[in-house]
Amino acid sequence: MAEYFFELLTEEIPAWMHEAAQKTVQERLAPTVQQLGGDPGTITVTSTPRRIVVFVPEIPERESDRQQEVKGPPKKVAFDASGAPTQALLGFLRKSNAALEDVVDTGDYVMIRRNVAGRPATEVLAERIPEIFESLRWPKMMRWGKGEYSYIRPIHSLISMYGGQHLPLSIFGVASGTSTVGHRTLAPGRIEVTSFNDYVTKLELARVVVDATRRRHVMAERARVLGMQAGGAPALDVSIWSQWQYLTEYPGIVRAEFRRDYLALPEEVLVTVMRVHQKQLPIRSADEKLTNSFLAVLDNEGDPDGNAAYGNSFVTNARFADAQFFYETDRRKPLEARLEQLAHLQFQEKLGNYLEKTRRIERIAAAICREAGEEPADALEAARLCKTDLVTEMVKEFTDLQGKIGGIYAREEGKPEIVWQAIYDHYLPVNIDDELPRNIAGAIVSLADKIDTLAGFFTIGLKPTGSRDPFALRRAGQGVVQILLNRDKRRVSIGIERLIDLALEARSAKTAAGVRGDLLSFFSERVRTLLEMSRYGFAYDEIAAAMEAGWAASLPDLVDRIEALKALRGEANFLSILDSAKRIENITAGQASTKVEASRLEHETEKRLNELADVVTAQIAELVASRHYSDALRSFAAMAPELEKFFNDVMVMVDDEALRKNRMSLLRKIGGAVSQIADVTKVVVARRDYRP
Amino acid sequence: MPRVTFQSLILTLQKFWADRGCMIETPLDIEVGAGTMHPATFLRVLGPEPWNVGYVQPSRRPADGRYGDNPFRLGKHYQFQVILKPSPLDVQDLYLDSLRALGLDLTRHDIRFEEDNWEAPTLGAWGVGWQILLDGMEITQFTYFQQAGGIDLAPMSAEITYGLERLTMFLSRQSSIFDIEWGAGFGYGPVRKQEEYEFSKYYFEVADIDLHWKLFDQYEGEAKRCLEARLVLPAYDWTLKCSHAFNTLDARGAISVTERVGVIKRVRDLAVRCAQQYLESRRELGFPLLPESERAALPQEAAR
Repeated sequence: MAEYFFELLTEEIPAWMHEAAQKTVQERLAPTVQQLGGDPGTITVTSTPRRIVVFVPEIPERESDRQQEVKGPPKKVAFDASGAPTQALLGFLRKSNAALEDVVDTGDYVMIRRNVAGRPATEVLAERIPEIFESLRWPKMMRWGKGEYSYIRPIHSLISMYGGQHLPLSIFGVASGTSTVGHRTLAPGRIEVTSFNDYVTKLELARVVVDATRRRHVMAERARVLGMQAGGAPALDVSIWSQWQYLTEYPGIVRAEFRRDYLALPEEVLVTVMRVHQKQLPIRSADEKLTNSFLAVLDNEGDPDGNAAYGNSFVTNARFADAQFFYETDRRKPLEARLEQLAHLQFQEKLGNYLEKTRRIERIAAAICREAGEEPADALEAARLCKTDLVTEMVKEFTDLQGKIGGIYAREEGKPEIVWQAIYDHYLPVNIDDELPRNIAGAIVSLADKIDTLAGFFTIGLKPTGSRDPFALRRAGQGVVQILLNRDKRRVSIGIERLIDLALEARSAKTAAGVRGDLLSFFSERVRTLLEMSRYGFAYDEIAAAMEAGWAASLPDLVDRIEALKALRGEANFLSILDSAKRIENITAGQASTKVEASRLEHETEKRLNELADVVTAQIAELVASRHYSDALRSFAAMAPELEKFFNDVMVMVDDEALRKNRMSLLRKIGGAVSQIADVTKVVVARRDYRP
Repeated sequence: MPRVTFQSLILTLQKFWADRGCMIETPLDIEVGAGTMHPATFLRVLGPEPWNVGYVQPSRRPADGRYGDNPFRLGKHYQFQVILKPSPLDVQDLYLDSLRALGLDLTRHDIRFEEDNWEAPTLGAWGVGWQILLDGMEITQFTYFQQAGGIDLAPMSAEITYGLERLTMFLSRQSSIFDIEWGAGFGYGPVRKQEEYEFSKYYFEVADIDLHWKLFDQYEGEAKRCLEARLVLPAYDWTLKCSHAFNTLDARGAISVTERVGVIKRVRDLAVRCAQQYLESRRELGFPLLPESERAALPQEAAR
């Protein structure tokens, strides 16, 4: 047993690529460590901006011996009539480096079996490590120098050591060694190392903290202390931390300040400038108010002359000066007065400008209000103004603030809360974890905007295909589904099918054939995908079964039905439901009628079943109407014994056509009783789960 | 830190890179938006010939003008541009040495290389690299060129572009570009402010739109004529004139979103043809900048 460790020294790798690269290296190395008899769970892969480091504490010196079997030619080709080996067999043996003694008798084919000695770990690693690193596919590759190789950044040096000895290998023409360099500016000299422990210790002295997690912890602690000194705490922001830990080799943090009067700017603007543009972390006071202090990363132990504090303040003040200029310019012109400018802003080449889009959003929003029984005034005002911030200077500069800026300006113009919030929120939800718009007006405008975009792009033939979705239409579709699934006071009572029709009606051009159907199947896919996500926790077969009974009229109703199925499938009588439904479906294929002629019922059992069916289907119909779907399914299950008896006592497939059809109608009547809830035959069950 | 002026920065950088084997070129005498458009970069990065060069380039970006009112923005700024071809493996260290030469003790500052890739649609060019942050402020663009004029490059060039005003302002602790000293006691503001004001007014309010459309067409026509006459260097000059006419029209608000893509494509088509023809012409000349030994060893296809 001995340790293996490896360092790839490059130039600065983009922060956002590190974690994916570490994961890939880990995954690809695991089988090799396993094969060598080591524990893949002990592999450590970490990185700094310019190093990727691999450490495995214990790898056996050679893999264990194993038996190898190789299949050869058919036996009748391998031996001639006298039983002597043919040229075909000899050729195979030569190629496989085996002798006649290695051949074993295994049926129709010749097989050789022999012992293969395990290879030394050094040999396997020297082969596998370069393969793993050379085959990494980075999101954006480059070439350098003479241009022979393509990688994320130029490769400078490699360390490869097994059991304290140099294990030579090479990657893209760079040969490994046993030395590295320290921090770029604080300790740039070469460093000889003898083991992983020695490496980590020496680099730490050379101002490089190798372990990314440790850098993050040190930074977090420093941020906390600096925040306290500024009378507050750093804003919680996961995305900043995951970037920061790959921006520096030394986990430094500096506190800086911007001019206090910029605090009068909208908080969203300040936070966006700091977080997105400057990768800085705002500090909030105990009452959650933004202070004029912020934190920034620093690839240095400290800032003895205040250079970093000066530089960060300088840049941030300059950015805020721009923002303030935009803010003051924008406020001279109310949102209402910007509408006409939207006519000069193109939405999409074939879909016209933003004024036209605004008009459609208004029409669709009005129609949604009508159908869903909502008071339209607030939603319509928000719809009219929702895109006007696109022609403000602020949004031109900080595009990710679209919507929010409009909302803020509307608030400052004294619009009612429901209106400005609706404008502010109308892009929501963008991601699966996003909040929904805060009020019903926002939900309606968001729906109208998204469905119009979808209807438009589908109309001009730009629907998403495969992995290509350049206009983020799937995301828009998912947003629509998220809003329609909601049941609190922001619930919008409309089905997807109606919504699609409203959007298509709002377009002046005639809808081409197929668009409506394409949109419906696009949405059925979105509904399916979303409901399978963990927050809903439904299984694909439950979803499919319930969707078979309809989904486009109401999503909350679909969810109720799936929930009933989910609840029932754990109960013992679910098998009865499923068996009954499947038997009925098989035997009545092609039969539509559910009308039973009582006079034609001959058998006592079928007469009894018919009476029972009348009672139970009426009961089920009532339960379905009042949306008591699980009770309805239970009632259905209660018919199972009688149905079972029917199948035992009565022959359905008799020659007498009238008699046969009558019996099929009876079964149809029963089977149809739950068809409005789900096609239960689509639910997949493992029978053993139901054994007592 | 010694007193830093705009010209002390230029002189130090020229000396520094000259001492490290760079030829010091002079600025191009045509309006360009960036030092990259100088033929000493855009054309020289093509093909197998080695090239190490440094130069100042006044860069005009009409839409960035602010009438001399904004302390951080200029319609014309100055870049110091370095091209190292092929890119040496120690290029980042060389760059850090240039900062030391400017008097910076890097152990007392924060220096970071943060991802920032570069793309110039009008040139059919792109590269991969970083913005270099000194104490959180961007002072340099560093790019490994990958393509120019739509042609894959080999060997690869490293491009280092210093923003001279910003760097001077930061090193001399001024809070406005117009407060830095140019040199010999002349202030940058008194020297340049009038120009910033007049050109902002011109590009935003006065420039004759019809004339510039006509000029654009004529420059394009002349560039094509030159290409047909196999005169690639004049063709490239006219391409740059075209590009500046485009920038002027853009600042003037005369190019709609729909037109934009089409106009950019017209400039790019010229740049692509120039790049191709330049490479062919250098091949015909036997790549004069290649050392004799390499010229003989070069396979016919290597430069394609």
